[in-house]
Amino acid sequence: MIAIAAIAAVTGATLGLGVYGVRLARTTSDLFVASRAITPWWNAAAISGEYLSAASFLGIAGLQMKLGSGALWLPLGFTAGYLALLLFVAAPLRRFGAYTISDFAEARLGSPRVRVLAAFVVLGIAGFYLVPQLKGAGLTLGEVTGAPYWVGVVAVGAVVALNVASGGMRGITYVQAFQYWTKTFAIALPACLLLIHLGGLPERAAMFGAELPQAPAAGLTVELDAPQPVTFPEATSYTVDGAPRQAQAGDEVVLPAGTVELPPGAVVPVAEGIDAQTGEEWARPVDSSGDASPVFVYSLLLATFLGTMGLPHILVRFYTNPDGPAARRTTVRVLGLLAMFYAFPLVYGMLGRVLVPELYLTGETDSVVLALPEAAWPGLGGELLGALVAAGAFAAFMSTASGLMVSVAGTISFDLWRRGHADMTVRRRRFRVAALGGVLAPVALALVARELDISVLVGWAFALAASTFCPLLLLGIWWRRLTAFGAATGLIAGAVTATGLIFTGLAIENGHPTVDALLTQPAVLSVPVAFATMVLVSLRDRRGRRAADAALLAMHAPEGLGLGYEEPLVRA
Amino acid sequence: MRRTPRDELAEATAHGGLYLRRLIREQLNLSAVALVAFGGIIGALPLALLLLPGFQDVFVLGVPLSIVIVAWPPFPLFITIGVVYARRATALEQSFRDLVEPPS
Repeated sequence: MIAIAAIAAVTGATLGLGVYGVRLARTTSDLFVASRAITPWWNAAAISGEYLSAASFLGIAGLQMKLGSGALWLPLGFTAGYLALLLFVAAPLRRFGAYTISDFAEARLGSPRVRVLAAFVVLGIAGFYLVPQLKGAGLTLGEVTGAPYWVGVVAVGAVVALNVASGGMRGITYVQAFQYWTKTFAIALPACLLLIHLGGLPERAAMFGAELPQAPAAGLTVELDAPQPVTFPEATSYTVDGAPRQAQAGDEVVLPAGTVELPPGAVVPVAEGIDAQTGEEWARPVDSSGDASPVFVYSLLLATFLGTMGLPHILVRFYTNPDGPAARRTTVRVLGLLAMFYAFPLVYGMLGRVLVPELYLTGETDSVVLALPEAAWPGLGGELLGALVAAGAFAAFMSTASGLMVSVAGTISFDLWRRGHADMTVRRRRFRVAALGGVLAPVALALVARELDISVLVGWAFALAASTFCPLLLLGIWWRRLTAFGAATGLIAGAVTATGLIFTGLAIENGHPTVDALLTQPAVLSVPVAFATMVLVSLRDRRGRRAADAALLAMHAPEGLGLGYEEPLVRA
Repeated sequence: MRRTPRDELAEATAHGGLYLRRLIREQLNLSAVALVAFGGIIGALPLALLLLPGFQDVFVLGVPLSIVIVAWPPFPLFITIGVVYARRATALEQSFRDLVEPPS
């Protein structure tokens, strides 16, 4: 009950701030980039608020509980992405004055076709990224209210589409900054209070020692709504609806729907797709094989390091900085704000392994952050903290999904809809229609993608962004000889390689471990392919060469010399 | 009136092009140094943890060092690199300003 009230409060505050913001938005420039009059701290909080998604709030802890400490590389990569942005992109791109990657592609390369191609890639990345947000919403609402999965998916989809259709970026900047603090408070406070309440990390042997996850001293009771296939790592007795049963080590059993009870100290059976690990195996951030193999870790780090700059909802926000140095200051602040948030998810991953081992049985490790407070602290304390994390989780889905929807609606209404219409009211109407229409496909996909881990889905979005927009931006900003044809072939090569490998990985099972790692996280292959294609094709493309000095001057010339573009390039 | 490099840049002369390329190269060098500092440390971390399993047996505040070292210290490192880089990049821009438009 408290949780529902907390979720309603966050949703209401989001909608309220959005509506308040739209009153302030008057021109297209206002609508899209909030007139560039927002201070670095507001901007940094807004960027972080938009960025910290379901993958950060629920997914890291969930993946850590499920796979082990290899998941700890995720927050590292998610933050390092902003370092890449700072070093190579933030200031030059801000000076160039294009609002979106599509604008950048057209203005830098002089080709409307590359713009359309970039627009399709934006939709692809945003799709990969929206689905796990909606999945998280379905999961959270189910966890706190018992509502069916689809209710949360549809509800958050509708709220976000309405919010984006009614508010502009100005509204969204304050909304997103508010969401950052909501999320950080909601993940930090329960983590600290739980550690104090428990007096540190309980039962360390299960976390870091030789033990497999076990039923607690009071036994373990799990209600199953549907039959659940599990593997028993060790022999144990258990009961289903009171009827005693016996399992041998290695038994694969389909548990029927009903009440399953395990005696105290019994090793918890694991759902399909989860390996039972001893605490020692589980605590290794790198392992010689498996989900923490060096190939996988490096590929993941590469994807997140290079992919962040290519996320469509992130770059738009940099144009709300007044100039290049301000864009740098904002990015440094983002690094600090993200570091503050990412200090906490692993507390849930570690505690969850000991305190809510039933999630290994149900396979729903993604909900560990939500389930932990009440399991660790029975009574009002746990209930209040549970409500707080549920509200924080909702802030996470809504902020990221809103940012993505702004990009999707902008891309559909400006890049793909018949262009050339300058009328403000027509533009706004198109933006709204696109926001309402653009949410349908991700909602449909989220309804069928319940089985996939949130962090895995988000990993794909990063891999795709790193293999397409990262080379486009880096070469476009720093290399004069990039041509439109080279950029286009590189975009296609990177996108095809990344998605091809991902879908091959979904289709085939259990190959060589290194091959599996590459199919799950293909960045280490697809990023070099994209870069090489862009460079080689551009070098051979003699006809496509054009004078890029003017564009590079605008990107790199310091402010105050009168050499940059004073006005935004497109859409002004 | 004396022609400054700024005018050459604004008129996109061959001379101006040289100034532009030099600025881009300097900025890129700075970014590359920061990237090497970052990449060297973070890139070595997975390999070091793989080759030195002893980190697992040392406990800091009840948590194995192998987890601690991934979970917290890299973030202050990112921020430090970010702050130093941003300062240097701004200083580089100031010296470019002085170069192309000498205060008269």
